[in-house]
Amino acid sequence: MKKTVLVACGAGIATSTVVCNRVENLLKENNVNAEVIQCKISEVKSRQADADLIISTTILPTTYDIPSIIATAYITGIGMEALDKKILDALK
Amino acid sequence: MSIERFLNNDLIKLNLLCKDRDHFFEFMFNEAFDKGLVDKQFLSKIKERESIFPTGLKLNEFSVAIPHTDPQYVKEQFIAVVTLEKPIKFSLMDDASQETDVCLVFMLGLNQPHQQIEILKQLMAIIQNPSNIKNLLSAESCEEVRNIFKQMEAKA
Repeated sequence: MKKTVLVACGAGIATSTVVCNRVENLLKENNVNAEVIQCKISEVKSRQADADLIISTTILPTTYDIPSIIATAYITGIGMEALDKKILDALK
Repeated sequence: MSIERFLNNDLIKLNLLCKDRDHFFEFMFNEAFDKGLVDKQFLSKIKERESIFPTGLKLNEFSVAIPHTDPQYVKEQFIAVVTLEKPIKFSLMDDASQETDVCLVFMLGLNQPHQQIEILKQLMAIIQNPSNIKNLLSAESCEEVRNIFKQMEAKA
């Protein structure tokens, strides 16, 4: 079944573009059938019903019904492989 | 497109002395506003944004911050590079309850961030390489800073 991943940014936060790109490549390389959608953090609440996972570059202002992962590691470069694994595991 | 072209010598500050984050933002806003790069609202918006979505990043040895705000307050795009004489406290991007001592700031003035993924990737690559951070912190001229950015582009 096709999964849906929301990549959330604070409000057009520049860094999420990079994270979005990285997640797309990660899922493709690992043959995960998923759609990656970039959106604002304020939109996550209304879109979570149709999604399987939230990946965010910033702190999450509230809690959600679906799992969420903070992806600052893709920016600092520290712990990137662990984060890759965490994302892949969450979509299994 | 080269990330080095986003640098502006007026917005490269080396060993800047600021007493706190607000002072830093005010100083850098004045520089950018004087050059006509940002809107009047830029200052309050970047401060507000930093308080809601902080941008401090803890690296292995040092901490950096990448403050930015919504595109509509940026008239002309830039990446300001500032090394600080004394570290300033920024909250962490992934945990606002924690602060870190930041000694290097990249203030981003981008108004089409989604079209500039290559530029952002180069910036991330700079942040992710500890020797770049060290070289930036010890830079004594705009030229040195530019060269570090130029090298990134050559590798990308």
